[in-house]
Amino acid sequence: MLNRLRYIFFIVAIVLAINSVLAQQPSVYTVTRMSFNDGIFSEISPVIVKDGIIFCSDRRFSAVRDRKSFDGNRLYNIYMAVRKDTSDWKKPVPVKSERSMLFNNGPMCVAPDGKSVYFTSEVETGPATRKRTFRNHSGIFAGELSGTELISIRQLPFNSSRYNVAQPSVSSDGKYLFFSSDMPGGQGGSDIYYCEFINNQWGTPVNLGSAVNSRGADNYPYMHPTGRLYFSSNRDGGLGQMDVYYTMMSSGKWDEPVLLPEPINSSSDDFAFVADDNLQTGYFSSNRRRSDDIYLFASTIIRKAECDTLIENSYCYELIEENAIKFDTMPFRYEWDLGDGNRGAGSSIVHCYPGAGIYLVKLDVVNLITGEILYNEKTYNLEIIDVEQPYISAPDMGNAGQNVRFSADSTNLPGWKIERYYWNFGDETVAIGKEVDKTFLKPGTYNIQLIVTTEPEPGGVVREACVNKNIVINR
Amino acid sequence: MKLNKTIYTLIFSAFILGINGGMKLTGQAVPGKDENITFLVTFGKQGETSWGDDDFYQVFFFSIPRDFKEQFYIRVFDPDTGGEHDEIQGEFNTRTFFGVYGGKGVNPDVNEDSKGLYNGMNYKGGTLLTSRVFGGEARFDNRYFTFGPFNPTAGDYSSKWNSYIFKVVVEGVTGDDGNLYRFFMSRDPENNLPVEGGNAFTYEYTFRMWNDFKSVAHIYPFVDTGVIWIRQRNFDWDGDGNILVVSRYKQGIEAAISNENDWMEGRISIDPDEIGSSLDFQFHKAQRELVKNNNVVVTLESQRGDALPFFSSPIGGVPVYIPKISVTKTNKTK
Repeated sequence: MLNRLRYIFFIVAIVLAINSVLAQQPSVYTVTRMSFNDGIFSEISPVIVKDGIIFCSDRRFSAVRDRKSFDGNRLYNIYMAVRKDTSDWKKPVPVKSERSMLFNNGPMCVAPDGKSVYFTSEVETGPATRKRTFRNHSGIFAGELSGTELISIRQLPFNSSRYNVAQPSVSSDGKYLFFSSDMPGGQGGSDIYYCEFINNQWGTPVNLGSAVNSRGADNYPYMHPTGRLYFSSNRDGGLGQMDVYYTMMSSGKWDEPVLLPEPINSSSDDFAFVADDNLQTGYFSSNRRRSDDIYLFASTIIRKAECDTLIENSYCYELIEENAIKFDTMPFRYEWDLGDGNRGAGSSIVHCYPGAGIYLVKLDVVNLITGEILYNEKTYNLEIIDVEQPYISAPDMGNAGQNVRFSADSTNLPGWKIERYYWNFGDETVAIGKEVDKTFLKPGTYNIQLIVTTEPEPGGVVREACVNKNIVINR
Repeated sequence: MKLNKTIYTLIFSAFILGINGGMKLTGQAVPGKDENITFLVTFGKQGETSWGDDDFYQVFFFSIPRDFKEQFYIRVFDPDTGGEHDEIQGEFNTRTFFGVYGGKGVNPDVNEDSKGLYNGMNYKGGTLLTSRVFGGEARFDNRYFTFGPFNPTAGDYSSKWNSYIFKVVVEGVTGDDGNLYRFFMSRDPENNLPVEGGNAFTYEYTFRMWNDFKSVAHIYPFVDTGVIWIRQRNFDWDGDGNILVVSRYKQGIEAAISNENDWMEGRISIDPDEIGSSLDFQFHKAQRELVKNNNVVVTLESQRGDALPFFSSPIGGVPVYIPKISVTKTNKTK
C-alpha cells in the first residue's frame, strides 16, 4: 500500500514538474480549403471585410461572359464572397469597374475608412496593348468601393510603364502603403516597398532593404494591426517555393523574417496571408492542390490584440521634509530611519526599497545649535504595492539557441485563482505553465505575451489578463 | 466610598479648570510664562548703550477685553533699582519713571508715536493716569508695587482687538544702573489674579538673557495680513548664541545676531500660511564661555516698515513646528 502511494506521489510530482518548467507546445494551426474555390480556376489574395472576404480570381465572369487577354491568359478580376452563415458562403459576386473586362484586376486592399480601396491593375491602356506580343505592367490604382462596384478610379503617381507595382496593403492607421515592385534598385526579383501618406498624397516608395527583401521574389505584403508585416517569398530556407514570412519593426530596424510553420506553409506556393486582429483566424492562398485556392486557417495560438505592456515595479522613492527644503541653510540635520534597516541623512533623500511591503519611516531631527535630537519627530507609513498585473520575469536580452527561462511567479492579482499561465513567445510558439523555458532560434525582437485566466468563478465568470514584454535575441 | 469619589471628582475638576484657566490667562505676566524671560531691563539715562539698552526706556501695552467690566491693577515686580536683581554700575544711583497711560493717543495702531520705536517719537501719548518714580527703595525691592485700580473704559479702545489699550512707559530718569523688573496685570491689588482674555505687547523688547546655557528665551511676534517678509533687528547680543525663528512651517531659520553695542538686521520670508499666527523667536545662548547679565533689544518690522507686536501670550498659542513628509515614487536612483 505504501509503495503504491509512493508511486502515485512520484508520478504526480513528475507531471507537476513538467507542467511548471517545460513549455508545452500545442499544435499551432489548422487549415481548411474554402468552399467557394473553383477547382479549375485560381482564387488568390483574400482580404477580410465586414461580411466576408474580397479576393481575385481568373474564373469566368459569368456563364455567358468571359474574357482573356491578348496573350491567351485568362483575366483576373475582383470578387466578393459573403458568409451565408457561420460555416457556409454565398456564391462570390464580381466587383465591377470600368476596368473589369479589359485588364487584370486585383489583388485589392481596403483602407481603414472601409471605403477607400487600392488595387492592382494594368498601367497601359492605348492601342499598343492589343498586340499579342505586348506585355503590360501592373500598377496600383485607388478607388472607392460602393457596394460591389469600384468607382472614382485613379492611378497612383509611382506607377510606371517600365516595371510592375502591385499587391497594395495599407497600415491600420492609414499612413503607410506597402506593396511589391520589381522597380530598379531593389534586392533582386520583386521587393517589398512602402510609402508614406504625407500632405494628402503618397510619397516616394522606399525599399524595405536587405533585412526583409531577398534576391528572390518578395511580394504579397500585408501589414497587420499588431505591426507584423507578413509577406511571401521564395527565398532559400523555406519549406518550398513561395512561403509566408513575417517581420516587425523594432528600434527602427526590421527584424529577421520569421517563417510561418506548417500547415500554412507547404512545399507548394503559399502566399497572400491575411488575419483577423487577434491572429486567431485568417486566410491565405496556396496551390497545394493543383490550382491556386484560398484557405482558411485557425490558430490554436492565443495572441491578444489588446494586451497591456508590462509595468516594471518601482521601489524607489524620494522622501522629503517639505518645509526643510525651502531653506538653503538650516541648523538641523535630518536623519531617516527608512524602515527597512537602512538609514539616510538630508532634508530630501532617495531610497530604493527591496520590494513591496509596509515600511515605517521615522524622521529624527538633530538641532545643530543645541545638539538636541528630536527622535521620531515625524513618522510615515509607506505602503509599497506591486502593480496589479500578470508579471513576466525574464531577461531583456538573450542569445539565439540559448535557453531563456520565463516565470510568472511575481504575478500580482489579488483575489484571482489563476488556473492557467499561457505564454505566447511571438514566434508562433506557445507554452503553458507558471515557469517555462524557451529557446529562440533566430535573432530579433520578440513580443512575449503572458495571458492568465482564472478558474471559473461563481456565475461561470472567467477572468483574464494579459501583459506583454519585448525580449531581444542576439546572434 | 461615595464621599471619596465625590472628593476625587472635585479635585480632578479643579485641576482641569486650573490648567485650562492658567493656559488662557498667562498673558498678564510680562514677560509671559511661555516667553521664559527673566526680567525686562531699563537703564538710567547716564548708562552706556553697550550695557544692552539702546534708548533707556521701554513701552508696554496692556489690552483689556471689552466685555471685562471690573477694575484691574498693573503690578510691577522689583520696580526699584538696588538690592536684588538689578544691575549695578558703580553704586546704585538710578531713578526710574513708571507711568500708566490711558485714553486717546495710547492705541499704537492709531498713534504710531505711541510705539516709541525711534528716538524723537512721543511715546507718552495719551492721558497719564498714574505714575511714580522709583529710586533705591528697599521696601519695593524684590516685591510688587501696584498701580491702580483702573477702569477698563479708561483705556484707548481698539476695534482691531476689541479691547481697551493701556500703556506703561518705563524711563530711566537719572543714573546709569540697570533696573530689572516684571509686570503683572491683575484683578487684585495684593495678588496676581489674571484678567481673563487680557494680554500685553510691545514693539521693542529690551530684556535680560538667561545666565545659564540651557534656558531658551522666546518672544512671539504676531504676523498680520499683508506681511511678505520681516526685517529683524537686534542690539547688543554680544554674539551670544543663535536666534532661531520657528513657526508651524519653519523648524528653525537662523536670524542674524548682533555683537557688542551694535545693531544687526536680517530678512525673514513669511509663508502665506503663517499670516494670522505667531512666530517663535528662540534665543539660544552660545554653548561655550558663559556670557552673564546680557541685556538685549529686539524689534521687527514688515516689508512696509510696520512694526510687529510681540505678545506676552502668543496669539493662536505657541507655534509648534509640524514636519511634513512627502513621499513620491521616483526614477532617480541613490
